[in-house]
Amino acid sequence: MTRYLIRRLGQSVLTVFLTLSTVFVLVRMAPGDPASALAGPNPTSADLARIREQFGLDRGLLTQYGVFLRDLFTGDLGTSYSFHAPALDVVLDRVPYTITLSLSAIALTALVAVPLGVWMARRADTKRELGANVLTIAGQSMPDFWIGVMLLTVFAVLVPVLPASGFTTWGGLVLPTVTVAILQMALISRLVRREMVAALASPYVTVARSRGVSTRALTWRYAMGNSAIPVLTALGTRFAAMLNGVVVVEVVFGWPGVGSLVVRALETRDYPLIQATVLVTAALAVLVQLLIDLAYPLLDPRVRLGKAA
Amino acid sequence: MTRIETRIPFGPALSRRSVLRLGAGASAGIALAPLAGCAGPTGAPGPGAISLGLNRSLVSLDNKLNQFDAAVTVQRAVRQALTRIGKGLRPELVLADRFEMTEPTAWTVRLRRGARYSDGTPVTVKDVSTALKMYAGVNGSFIVGLFPEMPTVEPVDERTFRLHTERPVPILDQLMANILISPAAANRPGELSGGVGSGPYVVTSANSGTGEYSLAANPRYWGRRPAVERVRVRFVPEESSRVVAVRSGELDVIDTITPDSAEQLKGLPGVRLDRTSGTRVNQLFFNFRKPRGHPLADPRVREALSYAIDGESLVRDVLTGSAQQAEGVVPLALKGSVRTGRYVHDPGKARKRLAALGASDLKVKIIWESGEFPADTSVMEAVLEMLRAVGVRATLQQFEPGGDILQWRQGRRGDWDVLGNGFSVPTGHASTSLQGMYGGTPEKEKTRDTYQGYVFPEIAARLADASSETDEKARNEKLAAVQKRIWDTRPCLWAFVPDVVLARRTRVRDVGLLQLNSYDLAAVRLEG
Repeated sequence: MTRYLIRRLGQSVLTVFLTLSTVFVLVRMAPGDPASALAGPNPTSADLARIREQFGLDRGLLTQYGVFLRDLFTGDLGTSYSFHAPALDVVLDRVPYTITLSLSAIALTALVAVPLGVWMARRADTKRELGANVLTIAGQSMPDFWIGVMLLTVFAVLVPVLPASGFTTWGGLVLPTVTVAILQMALISRLVRREMVAALASPYVTVARSRGVSTRALTWRYAMGNSAIPVLTALGTRFAAMLNGVVVVEVVFGWPGVGSLVVRALETRDYPLIQATVLVTAALAVLVQLLIDLAYPLLDPRVRLGKAA
Repeated sequence: MTRIETRIPFGPALSRRSVLRLGAGASAGIALAPLAGCAGPTGAPGPGAISLGLNRSLVSLDNKLNQFDAAVTVQRAVRQALTRIGKGLRPELVLADRFEMTEPTAWTVRLRRGARYSDGTPVTVKDVSTALKMYAGVNGSFIVGLFPEMPTVEPVDERTFRLHTERPVPILDQLMANILISPAAANRPGELSGGVGSGPYVVTSANSGTGEYSLAANPRYWGRRPAVERVRVRFVPEESSRVVAVRSGELDVIDTITPDSAEQLKGLPGVRLDRTSGTRVNQLFFNFRKPRGHPLADPRVREALSYAIDGESLVRDVLTGSAQQAEGVVPLALKGSVRTGRYVHDPGKARKRLAALGASDLKVKIIWESGEFPADTSVMEAVLEMLRAVGVRATLQQFEPGGDILQWRQGRRGDWDVLGNGFSVPTGHASTSLQGMYGGTPEKEKTRDTYQGYVFPEIAARLADASSETDEKARNEKLAAVQKRIWDTRPCLWAFVPDVVLARRTRVRDVGLLQLNSYDLAAVRLEG
């Protein structure tokens, strides 16, 4: 187990490092000039030259990369050009908002999608499932910005019971959470249905049923127990994606998360901020994947981490 | 059936089932927590407090590097300058109670008795001299670029000092409105994210990462206590979200709104729109780096092209009446500006003149950066059609913010013919705008630092002369003459001056929106 953990941690560090290095090169290859974005309107060439020198942008790519690596190992990700503050601090200011929204959305997704998927599986190919099918297909089809705007119009304007933007009260979490969760619920519930239909048709379920095991136990202990790993993997993957920022929802609801921050950083070619955001979100995503892998033995006792099947 | 008991491979001994139950319980708690919030307030600011929604993140309460319209309102509520630009774009005294030109190159300034910071320490002459040095030390500072030269401070007594310049700077009182004074010991050549100010409000909480600030009335303020006790400043980047928030009462004031949003908010119960003419000019500016012999190097061709543009339709139908066609080379709201002419729509004349000048088969490339002005894409598409109607084939190239447009503007990336661009200055005086756009010299052009290659040495010399004229009447006459001369060079295909528009809840009174798109937060009152 320890060896497995060490190996996975090593892989995680390598993944984050490669991601950072790729982003480092790509943002510098993209069109645009941070000095122009940073300077005021109508800057002079001398202004731009001074800014480039101040931030080391006048050096070669390899030199910049060397400086970046040196600073990275000392925990210094540079100063954000647009915030004039340590880039990592700016990102860490935003991360709690992103984690709150992501946790809230994934929890709502799990709470609704798993029972809904099970319900659909038990009524597979019946008329009663049709209604649920229509709902989940609609959930998958509606763009999240449209859902967000509709929810805003109803609950913040027509019946003003919830805040329209920001996170000034806990109520401010409701509309963004629901907006993010609707698409996820549709996807996950259909996945649960598919896995459960297959599991419920398995010989071990038939045998269990013939032995008089209750329907409830058949569904939740036998079938769900065997369907849990793909469902958890899907939930974890969706959660990791949310941690990278749900940009559209953040913009619609004025949610101060990392998604809108990285959009701004890209617009202003704020290299240190882009790199700090990538570092934090990649680290979070890798950590979530690791936790999911570690959770597999909890869901299926046959799984032994670090050993071939 | 054999019961399988699995232990977590690390940590305390817990059964697999208990961990799963714990996880389900935690998920339910997290998912349902927001619902508890439904019983709470909906984010409305409540009595005695006002909530402002900004379209850009207020990175700091300092303006050395970040000076945009709405920020100025908040920055000046915490930090103050010696003067400010008030109603009618006239300079008003703030931390100074005297600001007077006593020689052509010297101004005598006296600090207001009792002016102090929120920590109780007085505003000193050293604070002013340090502030000037710190602003001058900032790379790429927009503020420093407004000054023909930075003045030096000569202390006279504890409260009085003289500001010296090499050449006369007759609008120094207006320029100094942009230098915010902070305690000398805490000032530095960069943004001040913390520290004290002398303004009517103090910061009670700040998160520059999210752009959220809470202000409270400064108990030690040297002036009249503000009517509103608490101010909440929020960053809401998406305009539609700000519109929804002001409709629902969650935000009290939103500014810098587009014509579309103004239309949505017009006539809604509980919401009022304040509107005034602005000081920003948005232009379709010709490229003046064309070689001799190129059709666009001929002012007659540029004039002929301008007849193709139906400015009235653009203002009425595309900009929904929220702008005026320019009637001068700078906005008429600016002090020292004059009417120089009008844009006339006459496609027949355009076609005839272009043919007479041998420019019938002209092709023009129009470039601009997204968001440079409201409805930018629609304006450009309409202009393209108008040019096509007179036989001119136009192409459009739009740049995303942060892209390479500066390189293009300087002619380093490719050729273009017309640039969609806005220009504004926070001094309220025409001379600053005129020098910024039309004061180009051959020396500046060597480094491509002129405004789209506009180099007319005679005009630059006349502008320099007018801008250093200490007699106001003579200065205005000189400025008027040079503006007419600039108009005759036909620098723009078309230009317009957008209105400054602000939306507020009706409970917010006395906003006093200024033409510079800011207002005095301390003067705002709340009703009810």
